[in-house]
Amino acid sequence: MKESKEVPRRSLLTWVSSVALFGSAVISALANFVFLKPRATYGAPSRFSIGRPEEFPPGSRIAIEQRRICVAREGNQVAVISTTCTHLGCIVAVSDTGFSCPCHGSRYDQDGNVTGGPAPKPLPWYQVKLAPNGELEVDTSVEIKPGTYYTV
Amino acid sequence: MKLALAIASLIVFAVHGVVFYDQFFHKWERYQTAYFDQARSQARSELERAEMEARRPRIEQILVTNFGAARVDRCTTCHIASDDPRFSGLSHPLKTHPYSTALGDINQAGRWVRRHKFNDFGCTICHDGQGRGLTEYYAHGEDHYWPEPLIGYTVQHTWKKEYQKFLKGKEYMQANCAQCHTEENFAGTPLIAKGRRLFFEKNCYGCHRIEGISDGTLGPELTEAGKKFKIDYLWESIVDPRAGMATSFMPKFRLTEDEVKALVIFLKSRKGINLTETSLALFRARLNQDSAPPAAMSQPSLPAPSLNLVARGKELVEQRACAACHKIGDKDGGIAPDLSFEGAIKDEPWLLEHFKNPRALIPDSIMPAFRFSQADFEAMTAYLISLKAPTPPASPAEIFKLFCARCHGEKGDGQGPVALYVDPAPRDLTKAAFMNSKPRERFVKSIQEGVPGTSMAAWQNVLSESQIRALVDYIFTAMVKERGRELKARNLPEQNPVPSSPQSIARGEQTYLARCTGCHGRKADGKGPNSLDIVPRPRNLRNSPFIQSISDRRMIESILYGIQGTAMPPWIDYGMSQKDAGDLVNYIRSLTQASGRRQLRAGR
Ligand code: FES
Repeated sequence: MKESKEVPRRSLLTWVSSVALFGSAVISALANFVFLKPRATYGAPSRFSIGRPEEFPPGSRIAIEQRRICVAREGNQVAVISTTCTHLGCIVAVSDTGFSCPCHGSRYDQDGNVTGGPAPKPLPWYQVKLAPNGELEVDTSVEIKPGTYYTV
Repeated sequence: MKLALAIASLIVFAVHGVVFYDQFFHKWERYQTAYFDQARSQARSELERAEMEARRPRIEQILVTNFGAARVDRCTTCHIASDDPRFSGLSHPLKTHPYSTALGDINQAGRWVRRHKFNDFGCTICHDGQGRGLTEYYAHGEDHYWPEPLIGYTVQHTWKKEYQKFLKGKEYMQANCAQCHTEENFAGTPLIAKGRRLFFEKNCYGCHRIEGISDGTLGPELTEAGKKFKIDYLWESIVDPRAGMATSFMPKFRLTEDEVKALVIFLKSRKGINLTETSLALFRARLNQDSAPPAAMSQPSLPAPSLNLVARGKELVEQRACAACHKIGDKDGGIAPDLSFEGAIKDEPWLLEHFKNPRALIPDSIMPAFRFSQADFEAMTAYLISLKAPTPPASPAEIFKLFCARCHGEKGDGQGPVALYVDPAPRDLTKAAFMNSKPRERFVKSIQEGVPGTSMAAWQNVLSESQIRALVDYIFTAMVKERGRELKARNLPEQNPVPSSPQSIARGEQTYLARCTGCHGRKADGKGPNSLDIVPRPRNLRNSPFIQSISDRRMIESILYGIQGTAMPPWIDYGMSQKDAGDLVNYIRSLTQASGRRQLRAGR
């Protein structure tokens, strides 16, 4: 009687410990995946506001060098285009015809398409929208289709 | 065995689970999700709703590069609605940062525009705290008043609960406003201006140094006080200086609560050298002469001289908190000598010169040289001169109590209440070995004429010769007690037998270096390596008023025969001749003559 009861209890304990140990091992293993992508960086934040729409008069193309973007406004349409050269990452200058890179002479048109030089890709467009506080908010982590404007 | 293993593994599992939960399910994620949900429900367009739908929690940060070292503020990770005006009615952390015209925000047709954009300024520049922290503890510290005052001041272990009620209020923020708004009378920081005024009015500047503002050396430097100390510590140090350090001799000032608060806020704003206050900036401002004397140098103006000089002097002495250290009438700071009858024991030129540079007359005095105007010094001198002594009491015991006990102590043991702060220390009148080795005439003379270069005043205008003799007799019977043997004058020349010459001084220096530096120190300032263990302290031989007042004979006698009751040995026993002593006297006199000349030059 006593013996027959002993066996299931023992195997139950074995079960419990192995499940628990296995579980902790799985948790620890899974936990490592969090390190694949850094959660925080010390760099510039990707979401930031650039000011009220009135600060960008219609027809203007204003470069904000610190943020590496160019704000283009036509009528009540706003777009934000990156000013980081797709060749080796210099800051491109805003010119009459579009953008031109001072480093190796890449040229882009007004929409950021490559028109000359070594640049392999067009300049990306970033998401921009009106934040609740009435300022334009740019998110450089979200690239949008070139040519899509935001209406203010 | 198996049971233990099962329990242990369950515990490990549970701990792992908790750690996992803690590390991967953050509070800020919940706050952000709540924000997204609410923002979505308030969305006015389909597009906006879709955007909110797409947003996932992530660490938000502001990188502030415009002011000094770059700082990273991640406060908006939890306080994600701080710039979203729709959330003004909610509670923290999902609450709009209030708008305020005092901060420069403007209301344009119902829509507020911030003056200090969070994007440019970040949060910790005003609120303090740790911008990188992502939990309440790491970001705020343990401060239950946050965000009203500065963050994190309660975490220090000396936190004093008694001062808790004073340390609350938005005013403390001014200390941080002043980091950028350094103008002296900036409208937004009235308490900084008040604190700065008090810093001068209460003579804090006499003892404390703040780079560019003041250069006292007695107290700790306060240039970076705001960086080093928390507000409760500053508050405590002002109202109760001895609470933090038992040996502090900072006086307790009579300050109202508002005044303490202003001082604390002013000190909290001192976080290093403010470039607008450096001597170069001050010099430039003075050159340009565009306005009144530059910030730091200007003294707050006191009410214009109204009544006569004495009344004005009295006003100044009272306002400038002289009684914080000295005793005047019934006010007693308990640190410095009694000024209640200063007019009877000092004369006008002495007082005036002592005001300007206390250490020219008493070289080891701790009194700071205050930067008052000449007119103020004259008025204060006039007031002190007007303070005459009361008619001395009849019995020598009462005279001693009234005039002598503050320094020499009730028992005459040199342990009066202010003795600690008087240098050279008051003589221990109970030390029979010393008292009996000197003729009584010398004590009579010291009382009559005072001892130059020390705090011992001349009492001849207050006490008659017979009163002084009675006092000396009283000291010998009541304090010395032991009767000494009859003294007979030693056979010593009145004048130094060795004429002063460069050779003699050089020989004296050799002897001095070989024999005297152990106690009197290499610089002859009485601070040699052995001096710490010696009471009374070795004499500062650079005290020129003192050295000049004593005769060659007394010096030679002290060197050759020692001074009984002190550590000065009789050097004649160690084979020193009168000639050697003469060289030493020449050397010692050469020191003070040189420094006397230096002082003169500096004074001119
Ligand atoms: S980096 Fe712009 S062209 Fe090379």
